[in-house]
Amino acid sequence: MAAEAYAVDVEGVVKQFGKQRALDGVTLRVRRGEVYGLLGPNGAGKTTLIRSLVGLVAPEAGTVSVLGQRMPQLEVLAHIGYMTQQAALYPDLSAEENVHFFGAIYGRVDGVRDALEVVDLWDRRKSVVSTLSGGMRTRCSLACALVHKPDLLLLDEPTVGVDPQLRVQLWDRFRKMAAGGTTIVVSSHVMDEAERCDRLGLIRFGKLLAEGTVAQIKAKAGVDRLEDAFLKLSEAAPA
Amino acid sequence: MNPRRVQAITQRLLHQFRRDRRTLALLFGAPLVILGLLGYLLRGGGDVPKMGVVNLDSAGLGSLVASTLESSKTVAASSMSQADAETKLRSGDIAGYVLLPSDFTAQVQQHRIVAPDVHLEGSQPGLSQSIVQSVSQSFVALAGQAGGVQFAPRISFLYGGPSFDTLDYFGAAFIGLVVFFLVFVITAVAFLRERGQGTLERLMASPLRRAEIVLGYMLGFTVLALVQSAEVLAFSLLVLHVHNVGNVALIFLLEALMAIAAVNLGIFLSMFARTEFQAVQFIPLVIVPQMLLAGIIFPISTEPGPLQALSRVLPLTYAVEGLRNIMIKGADLSWSSLQLDIGVVLGFCVLVILAGATTLRRRVA
Repeated sequence: MAAEAYAVDVEGVVKQFGKQRALDGVTLRVRRGEVYGLLGPNGAGKTTLIRSLVGLVAPEAGTVSVLGQRMPQLEVLAHIGYMTQQAALYPDLSAEENVHFFGAIYGRVDGVRDALEVVDLWDRRKSVVSTLSGGMRTRCSLACALVHKPDLLLLDEPTVGVDPQLRVQLWDRFRKMAAGGTTIVVSSHVMDEAERCDRLGLIRFGKLLAEGTVAQIKAKAGVDRLEDAFLKLSEAAPA
Repeated sequence: MNPRRVQAITQRLLHQFRRDRRTLALLFGAPLVILGLLGYLLRGGGDVPKMGVVNLDSAGLGSLVASTLESSKTVAASSMSQADAETKLRSGDIAGYVLLPSDFTAQVQQHRIVAPDVHLEGSQPGLSQSIVQSVSQSFVALAGQAGGVQFAPRISFLYGGPSFDTLDYFGAAFIGLVVFFLVFVITAVAFLRERGQGTLERLMASPLRRAEIVLGYMLGFTVLALVQSAEVLAFSLLVLHVHNVGNVALIFLLEALMAIAAVNLGIFLSMFARTEFQAVQFIPLVIVPQMLLAGIIFPISTEPGPLQALSRVLPLTYAVEGLRNIMIKGADLSWSSLQLDIGVVLGFCVLVILAGATTLRRRVA
């Protein structure tokens, strides 16, 4: 991969589903090694934006570049890890078999052990996924997104339904990976998670309302709490 | 037992169906289509079995029998030379012919024995039966004239034989069908599960190519399908003793082609279903009409004309015909009819593979 400054470069992207405008001219850039949080309520367009980054959504207008390549591009996908909102796993395979399968698709079965250890599932690797708890499935799903040691990790609400203790653990992992040079784009509607991102994009009605570090966003809204800032900025924006 | 709670469930079910137009259409449309098809098939004035009459008897009784047969409504009989009849029997143009020997009249008058030679094609028991019946009926007229004669036809079979029964006839077709339908349903459901559990989205976001997904699926299910084919074949031949005079390897080849086609048809059609429930709905839509029209139960040659044309474009027709050609007639690859059958099935395979790969959109949106 070329050493582009931006891992993600989205320019004026528009996506329409019937009458619904899921993305309404979104422009954003994510630097390499950055943890970028997409913050917004349900239905704001976070998932559509993330899916457009892996070419699963074809925008009607605008351009999407990932790791220096215009999407959709099959080669780039080899360097992206994508964790869907729902734990997308094969329920009748064991945790290890699931991770191994996705590893094999990327030609990186060597990363299976690492990935399972990172999410603390190495001891439960032989368990069939349908017997795992919700939190374990989420971690297994994350392991599947990590197995090929991607340069860019896209996480769509990775901590939904995860207990606070595990959430803290997962965020420690994300920060560690970012420190190791991995770029992470993570969507969430949980404010305390947002505080752990390098930069945030507030998204609502398919528009990027504000962007910046947590401090910048608070300053822009003139409030102390991120939650208030989010509410204030959404009200200010034309619906 | 609380009636209100029961009512809540009933009401919820009906509400759900109101949203699911497709299931409703199926529920109320499919029975009419299937029964209508069956009605047309059986009452639509289809062709009666074709047979030949070879009259070598120059005396009066031979031509009496011949004209009685030719005016029969249960068979379409026409006079022809013996050589002609033999050729047509082999090509399948007639289901049988009756030979009235030159001493036919003499035999009746001197020995009071009616002894025609009935030559049957034999691969379709229903047709053979019609012919034997019509022939014996035509001699009723003769009995009225001559009085007290004994009817002793000599029946010979080109294929099959006197012990060839309905199972032998259906068995050849079902060996392929069982595999085809089961593999189709299993693949369609498995592919929908891949969609439903979100793993397909994951695969689509990976460097996998469409063709790789389709090929991977195809190989995986083909392995299963081949094992199943072998099992079905062994059971049919060794346990049920289904009549087979052909090459077992050829049967297996045709079965394997059908299995591959079924896998890809399953992938292809699963694109048009959102749930496993909807995938199962393809059975009455796709499978039942083919069961009726592919010549499995009702010979295509006796279907009403328009249905014959429809049958001729169904790939399953050729698969069934191919299996019967091999098992009942002992066809090998030098037979042009078997070449056509295998060619059509092979072409269908390629078509559904391409259809599956192109429909599997990279962009799920």
